[in-house]
Amino acid sequence: MTKWRDSWTAYILILPAALYVLILAFIPAIEAVYYSFTNIKGGYTLFNYSFVLSVFGTRPIVNTFIVTVTALILQFVFAFALASLLAKPFKGRGAFSAIILIPFGVATIVTAVIFHNIFSTYGGYANSFLNIFGVKPLDWTGSFDTSLFALILADSWKNTPIVTLILLAGMTTISPDLYSQAMVDGANVIQRFFRITLPNMAGFIAIALMIRGISEFNIFAMALLLFPYQLLTTMTYSLYDTVNAHPAYAGATILLGFVLIFATLIMFYRTRYGVGHSNGK
Amino acid sequence: MVSEYKNPRAKVAIYVGVVFFTFLVLLPLYVLFIIAFGSPSQTVAAYYPALFPTKFTLANFYNAFAGYGKILEAAFFKSLETAFIVAAIAILLGFHAAFGLSKLSFKLGSIIIALLFFSTMIPSITIAIPISATFLKLGLYDSSLGLAFAQELIVLPLTVFLIMGSLESVPKQLENQARVDGASFMQALYTVIFPLAVPGVVSAFLLSWLMSWDEFTFAVILSPVHPTLPVLIYLDSTARGNILTAASFSLLVTIPVIVLTIILSKFIKGNYLTAGITG
Repeated sequence: MTKWRDSWTAYILILPAALYVLILAFIPAIEAVYYSFTNIKGGYTLFNYSFVLSVFGTRPIVNTFIVTVTALILQFVFAFALASLLAKPFKGRGAFSAIILIPFGVATIVTAVIFHNIFSTYGGYANSFLNIFGVKPLDWTGSFDTSLFALILADSWKNTPIVTLILLAGMTTISPDLYSQAMVDGANVIQRFFRITLPNMAGFIAIALMIRGISEFNIFAMALLLFPYQLLTTMTYSLYDTVNAHPAYAGATILLGFVLIFATLIMFYRTRYGVGHSNGK
Repeated sequence: MVSEYKNPRAKVAIYVGVVFFTFLVLLPLYVLFIIAFGSPSQTVAAYYPALFPTKFTLANFYNAFAGYGKILEAAFFKSLETAFIVAAIAILLGFHAAFGLSKLSFKLGSIIIALLFFSTMIPSITIAIPISATFLKLGLYDSSLGLAFAQELIVLPLTVFLIMGSLESVPKQLENQARVDGASFMQALYTVIFPLAVPGVVSAFLLSWLMSWDEFTFAVILSPVHPTLPVLIYLDSTARGNILTAASFSLLVTIPVIVLTIILSKFIKGNYLTAGITG
């Protein structure tokens, strides 16, 4: 009798949180998809999509992919280096890991403001630094490549800590004996990284990719300040209008669609490669 | 045991890496610091701002607060209020859900966790635009409460994972003992489990508070008229082109959060953040 009542109590305890997410996340998302196919009078139309595509073209989609991929690569390179450092015992490791965590606490918009000042074309610190070596000032926001560089650098500065922590958690699950054995067998650092570290961490890499990849797709505050080209988020925001939000719904739906495709790909990677390895096979 | 740790060359490599990354982390903070405290003639007014300014001033701060005193105060309290509402709801819903989930079978629990995790994948903008229309009708638009309701979506799943992690460390026997002694399910939850889960609850509270304090996307769409601090900083650094004010406000936002991060560093660990997803 009590067992039966306990399990019902458990359900009732979960219900508020589940309902909350359902009402405030899923229903608005479905609304966005539904309204993207209607006009202001409520009739079915594809006009919102053709409007968005005719104004912005496919550049926002391509740009979002470029930003996501380059930012992920940069963050993972830094995070692997940092996690490998933090996995080793050395004096001052505690202080070092506290310092590494600082950017996690710095607000996204503050990071954007700082890098905006570093990479401004007039009076920026990057140009000031280049000037010491007699290099001419660069127009950082003037070209796609340089503004992409500023954006992914700012984003990576802020978000590498979280990737580092996840990868470090993965690294500590690998038995040091594996490395010792590989060293006895004569494997060098690079071989050890690709043959032991990477395959044994596939599950953790998938999680870090998932968490960061989805955030990269949603990069917004930083892009507003640092990236003068359209991304899916900034495009949707520029379409947003409280009087007629229908074109913005189309933008929001396109963004949602790409995030879901990305998430599915990572899930696939995880079930395909992650699980087998994390079982120690 | 074969180890490269004792190799002196490896040791040098480690410290080279440590110095390099410490430098990378601190450099942008140094830039913020010199813009906020440096004399404008050596920072924003210079074509090549000095990398090592020699003249320092508090005038930037004074002007920022004198010029925007009222607006700043309003934004500060709006951010503060929103963050506390977000953290309070997160604990209220998150603690109960985490405890309920720990009682379910593994399979059912995983499905509900997957549902929570899936909700975090939906882009904030995708949610914010339809919500803004609903909030306009309900009178929640531009209010702290409405903004807090939306920001809750980002922190709630993480809160549930964090608290579930700390509930795992509570011995099962204690709860059983309380039940044998006649405590009801809910009495056992509040009098026995909760006190033991306090470290996890506190860290979840602070982390939700921090994430709300930092949040921008919902804030800019759902509360643009009476902005929170991050939105105010954005408006100052672009729309009004006032870099010095933005830098002063940025420092104001950043200092408490860095202190919080260092306090929290024990809890912000990869295995906590991935709890429930790793399976």
